[in-house]
Amino acid sequence: MSEKEMGLEEALDDLERIVEELEDGKKSLEESLDLYEKGTKLVRLCQARLESAEQRIESLTGELPPDLD
Amino acid sequence: MTQIFTVTDLNERIKDRLENDPRLHDLWARGEISNYVNHRSGHRYFTLKDRDSQISCVLFKNSGVRLGFELKDGQNVLVYGDVAVYRPQGRVQLMARGIRLDEGLGFRHLQLEAVKKKLAGEGLFGLERKRELPRYPQRIGIVTSPQGAALRDVLRIIGAYPARIILSPAQVQGDGAEESIALAIRALQGKADVVIVCRGGGSTEDLWCFNSEIVARAIFECDSPVISAVGHETDVTIADFVADVRAPTPTAAAEMAVPDIVALQTYLVQAQVRMARALWSGLERKRERLDYLVRSFSAQKMYALASEMRQRLDWLNERLGDAQKEKLTESKRRLELAQGRLAAVGPRATLSRGYAIARLPRGLVLGAEDVRPGEVVELILARGRILAKVLECNSEAEDSR
Repeated sequence: MSEKEMGLEEALDDLERIVEELEDGKKSLEESLDLYEKGTKLVRLCQARLESAEQRIESLTGELPPDLD
Repeated sequence: MTQIFTVTDLNERIKDRLENDPRLHDLWARGEISNYVNHRSGHRYFTLKDRDSQISCVLFKNSGVRLGFELKDGQNVLVYGDVAVYRPQGRVQLMARGIRLDEGLGFRHLQLEAVKKKLAGEGLFGLERKRELPRYPQRIGIVTSPQGAALRDVLRIIGAYPARIILSPAQVQGDGAEESIALAIRALQGKADVVIVCRGGGSTEDLWCFNSEIVARAIFECDSPVISAVGHETDVTIADFVADVRAPTPTAAAEMAVPDIVALQTYLVQAQVRMARALWSGLERKRERLDYLVRSFSAQKMYALASEMRQRLDWLNERLGDAQKEKLTESKRRLELAQGRLAAVGPRATLSRGYAIARLPRGLVLGAEDVRPGEVVELILARGRILAKVLECNSEAEDSR
């Protein structure tokens, strides 16, 4: 699954796991750096997701009141 | 001759007429209480209704104290009093002087209890079937009136949370509302991760459609978790019992449906800080390697990563070229093979009868004059080929020897 398709939930779950693994301190430095890189990417991905959000409203009948359209 | 009244005069005249009619005094009226309000002033207001009609009632403070029971919506009562006209609004009302409980509950409430019992018996309210709400829904379905304030409340709360919002419009009061709501819920089948069924505050009658069996079943059969939010906190309907989660108001429903975006952003920043701190303390623990790591390792690592990627790209490009070339050679080979087989097929029948084809690199040997003694001729037979050395050439036609 590419990052674009990754849902917010999945990204946050991954991030949580990475943070915990890092804090666990059992990884080698190289692995830690990898994790840090991955984690940072996930943080950016989530932030972008949250910032890019414009409210997208659609109606199943296709019609929206003018104040919502 | 037509008389023209002022509105005041008109209401005054109606008031006189009604209030002086002895048949509209000291009467008993039977009905069900709804819209009951116990005003701060101590006066009580409610609507007395039956299946087809209703009338406003007022019970003044000094009459109320003698009641001996608490008035409640849905109670069937007998009201004793007089008809009066409230002139400023031209409203006909019943001034109650006494209220007695009629036997049993109101008709509709009995009906409601029956539906509740039936659905509970079928397990529609079972706690074990309540589903958890998704933490980060990507599609939020909303069943409500497009014109209602409830929808605006919900949208305001969802605010900047990144999700697709799918409105499934429904008529939320009046005739046909039950069918409309049920249909709107079913229309969201497969289209939402969570569904909010909501409506703003209203009278018990206005909210009644949410007590219907078909709405309850539509909620029960909905393939995603349903949050119900009908009216205000104190309004509880059957829809609330069936829904996976009951919210006191539409605003609260929206708050339950989506995570707090500010909390989420804070969490992300914290995650970044926690990771950096964890990484740093890892570095601290291996202080002796710190210089190496900071100065060369990370740079080296980046460089290695880049070169690895470049190599991989080259390799992929090559593979791509190879693959195309290979395909071409393969096609060529197959073409040659096909040609060879085609050629062989023609004379094969003849060859199998004992004939041979004699061939030189420069062409077929059709006559003795085509070869010279000492030359090597290729003979193609039915099975295989042989090379033969020419001993003699005799161009004369076949003679008996």
